[in-house]
Amino acid sequence: MPISTSLSAATRRTVLWLGRQLANQDNPGAWLDPLLASVNPLWVQAYTPAQVERVERETADTLTFTLRPARRWAGFQAGQHVTVGVDIDGVRHHRTFSLSSPPTLWQRQGRITLTIKRQPGGRVTPWLHQHLTPGQTLALGEAFGDFLLPEPAQPLLFIAGGSGITPILSQLETLVAGDARVPMTLIYCVRTPADVIAAERLRALDARSPALTVTIVTDDGPRSSRHLGDAHLDTVPGLKARQVYLCGPQGLMELAESQLLQRGLRSSQIRRASFSVGPARALAPGTTGGTVTFRRAGVSVDATGDASLLALAEAAGLNPRYGCRMGICHQCSCRKTGGTVLNRLTGKPSGPGEETVQLCVSVPAGPVTLEL
Amino acid sequence: MPTLSDTQLQALARDLDAIRDEVLADLGERDARYIRGMVRLHRTLELGGRVLMPLGFLPPVFVAATVSLALAKILENMEIGHNVMHGQYDWMNDPTLNSQRYEWDTVCTGDSWRRTHNYEHHTYTNIIGKDRDYGYAVLRLTDEEPWQPWHALQFMNYVLLSVFFQWGVGLHELESEKLRRRELRWRDKWPFLKAFLRKGGRQAFKDYVFFPLLTLPVAPVVLAGNACANLIRNLWASTVIFCGHFTADAETFTEAECVHESRGHWYLRQLTGSSNFTGGRWLHILSGHLSYQIEHHVFPDLPAHRYPEISVRVQAVCERYGIPYNTGRFSRQYATVLRRILHYSLPDRLRARLRREPPAQAI
Repeated sequence: MPISTSLSAATRRTVLWLGRQLANQDNPGAWLDPLLASVNPLWVQAYTPAQVERVERETADTLTFTLRPARRWAGFQAGQHVTVGVDIDGVRHHRTFSLSSPPTLWQRQGRITLTIKRQPGGRVTPWLHQHLTPGQTLALGEAFGDFLLPEPAQPLLFIAGGSGITPILSQLETLVAGDARVPMTLIYCVRTPADVIAAERLRALDARSPALTVTIVTDDGPRSSRHLGDAHLDTVPGLKARQVYLCGPQGLMELAESQLLQRGLRSSQIRRASFSVGPARALAPGTTGGTVTFRRAGVSVDATGDASLLALAEAAGLNPRYGCRMGICHQCSCRKTGGTVLNRLTGKPSGPGEETVQLCVSVPAGPVTLEL
Repeated sequence: MPTLSDTQLQALARDLDAIRDEVLADLGERDARYIRGMVRLHRTLELGGRVLMPLGFLPPVFVAATVSLALAKILENMEIGHNVMHGQYDWMNDPTLNSQRYEWDTVCTGDSWRRTHNYEHHTYTNIIGKDRDYGYAVLRLTDEEPWQPWHALQFMNYVLLSVFFQWGVGLHELESEKLRRRELRWRDKWPFLKAFLRKGGRQAFKDYVFFPLLTLPVAPVVLAGNACANLIRNLWASTVIFCGHFTADAETFTEAECVHESRGHWYLRQLTGSSNFTGGRWLHILSGHLSYQIEHHVFPDLPAHRYPEISVRVQAVCERYGIPYNTGRFSRQYATVLRRILHYSLPDRLRARLRREPPAQAI
């Protein structure tokens, strides 16, 4: 345990103040990171590091990574996600994944698992599959998300598609380990039997809990174009009283939701975890414009043409810091939390995630959110 | 400055943009490893310096600790801080190497530096009256500025500026000359002054209060070592920076020349207004690669450790357009800087007689 936890809050504040004076950094603990990282990567302070312990293959395109986060990580509840940071060719990328292990594994053994499907053409997931091997570390954010189990327990229906099973795995293992007696049904839609993720764990859960029914729905070839049919929902006893958890591709979730509503379920009974880590789309030339949201100011503007983010912000009455207005001085650099922009100087699109952009030479390509 | 036609200026911009695009496309692991290696070296040197300093009552240890701390400050200010704040490593998306968040180990605040240096100096480079870095409102280094009696003492002012360089840089944005001329009121500068006092206080507290007190029995030794390290950094930084724009052949410009200027003209101004010096790998690193001032001014946001390889291509471009490329040995370039400071301290008539040249036209 770090010494600081035994110090009083006042002393901690003083030490932090002193550290800021000495290190010129808001997080003075990170000042020694470059040296600490070469001794033990789990001592890094700038972010919460997690070390890969094991990598297991689930299906042809999905791997499960067992990670050991630094002890200061705050933990999670079943069904939550984490944002993971990795450096690929010198650039830090962030992606969000669901935790596929139950919280008890973290509490008892200090381990978590992430089950990650390779997105063809993506920048991050293929890299993770190829390069993230035991011993390596990544940056782990704190868990978030409200895809949480109901309290107190009530009858449950889980509908998962493909890698959308991951948060539900964590939930089912939590429920079964807690000896839940409420009726629980999992309908898991996959393309072929070979695409079932965590088949072994699901079989074990099914065998251990008499309250749990697991149905695997496959879509083998031309026989059925609809994964989810009446046959599946009508066999769920007491369907109208169930709390429903949906996680999977957009199309499946919409289909499931409309079928459930048709059967008289209220939309408040249905919880959805949106799950779309699609590959970065190549931008056709000329696709500029979109809704730009300035988050701090709480202002949105609709942009057309090739107006820069700086011009758009100013037109919206904001007063962002700027300098040369020609991409030299980086005075106007600003945090983008989502969306893609085109760099006017290079003509290249940015990544879709969180990163720093130069407002004066960035043109929105679709919806963009800025920390401004 | 060689006169280029609009077509030539356009072609010049295209050629230099092409170099820039190629380097940008190639950024990656190699650059990340370089800057992280430099940060690691900085931490090692600073830690080493701080730990050894209390043993500085032994003369060889005093020298080692002081040099270690001075090198740490030089490396942090020049190769890390200055370059990171230019946005050279923003593409890495690492918050600790982000241009807008970085705060460096010197009196000048990061915010003030980003305004006065990144924006004013790099946009209006060497335009007399707009680039306040040209002589720092203390030195007269061009005919554009009329001689006044106090310029006679400017060599002394130069020495003082070098010795207290970090404080001079920290106060640069105060625009004391405008306060003197009553163009600005002190009230306007209060937000700046508050930030300056906070940062200056922090820096002084660290080196002159905290570490000496921490090692109380040897406080005088630690105080002296820290002061020496700051002095060495000040002298070196000032010397390197003066070699960047004040050498004999570095050109200056008028505001009129630069009205509505094209990107090509901006490039031309950067090429002719800056000067390099040659040397070994570590001389370049310790100068923050400002030894490649020309490349830095043409591409201020490309990682500086790339300037040596970029330089070959920039020289080829200069040759193609007949643009002079101002470089030379460090000692030679610095000698021309000192000569320039001395020359312009003299009234025009006296200076002309010394140089046996016709007097500069009266203004």
